[in-house]
Amino acid sequence: MIDRTLLVALREVFAERRHPDGLVAALTFTGMVVLLESLALGPGRARQPDVASGIFWIAILFSATLVSQRSFDRDLEDDAIDAVLALPGGRDAIYAGKVVALGMITGLVAVAAGVMAILLLSLEIALPLHLVLLLALGIVALAPVIVLVHVLALRVRARVAVVPIIAFPMLTPQLVAATQGTAAAISGDATAALGWAGLLAAFALVYTVLGVTIVPAAIE
Amino acid sequence: MVVLDDRAVLRNVSCEIGPGLTVVRGDNGAGKTTLLRAFAGLVPLARGSRQVEGTPLYIGHRPMLLRGLSPRENLAFLAAFRGERAADVVGALRSWGIGEVMDRPGERLSAGQRRRAALARLDTEPARLVLLDEPFADLDVDALVRLRAAINNAIARGQSVLMATHLHHELDQDATRLLVIRDGEVRTP
Repeated sequence: MIDRTLLVALREVFAERRHPDGLVAALTFTGMVVLLESLALGPGRARQPDVASGIFWIAILFSATLVSQRSFDRDLEDDAIDAVLALPGGRDAIYAGKVVALGMITGLVAVAAGVMAILLLSLEIALPLHLVLLLALGIVALAPVIVLVHVLALRVRARVAVVPIIAFPMLTPQLVAATQGTAAAISGDATAALGWAGLLAAFALVYTVLGVTIVPAAIE
Repeated sequence: MVVLDDRAVLRNVSCEIGPGLTVVRGDNGAGKTTLLRAFAGLVPLARGSRQVEGTPLYIGHRPMLLRGLSPRENLAFLAAFRGERAADVVGALRSWGIGEVMDRPGERLSAGQRRRAALARLDTEPARLVLLDEPFADLDVDALVRLRAAINNAIARGQSVLMATHLHHELDQDATRLLVIRDGEVRTP
């Protein structure tokens, strides 16, 4: 299972490296959101920890959806996904491999967007290590849900619209936890930051297990 | 029984595929692809069951290779996924006449080259049951000869080849079994 998951994840990363459509779209999108945030709200409000972290996580959520969308589009072209699904363990590996790859690519986007936000908004981070932990857990909590919903909507024509409509309400608790935790890390509240981090870890675990359990039956 | 979009595409299907070549005939939309996909485990059965020895190799009427990767990367990935890490991917692609373009991304290959790359999986992924859906599409004369030889080799090795096509009726004479799909039912003529 782990071998096959890593094989699928590597395949995803290689394909994205050769044609980084998803990554470029995600980087452009998050960069623009951070830039527009300071213009729309003004530097004073945009620098407030809860505002900055809220807008950051909304941008990451949309970016991850874009990257995942592109990944499934690529796999549906020429029925490439069927070659994997027809093999033993293919359904589990497609799900888990795409979750791992999405986590890696979104991580890259989050680091770039985070650095840009810190520089552009002159943010002072009181607890940088807590922030890194929250970033990592936030992404790990988002990826399983986004991939799971993409899998469920695999053969739906209006997948581009259906996935956010289903996934985003499911992701509201993660979004709240990531936003509050990040705001706490920026403002220096270590207890709150760790509390929200624990919640994100629980979400990540629940949705990963749920995905691995229902995906084999859900993929057609 | 196989139901797609609330319509029974195949019903009352009862067939056993043994070693040799089995050719599936039928009009467009008769359900040939659905039958092969059912054997490959890619469509759920509304009723009934299927039993397949080992994991079949299914090569669909589209190449089923990821366009962002080269033929070599695609075949190496699929062979490794199947546990055939020692498969001679380079040799197989060369023998199918695409050695010079095997490192080129899939989207920069012609339809015929992509088809050849897909068919090279016959050499890198040994399987007891081989499912070929319209394998002659997009192939030039050389590749057609190569495919006929590959099918004959598979049969000689004791593999079962189930092929859906509405072309090359001369194959019917070589076939061990001939199945015809009409009105959603599989019949033996």
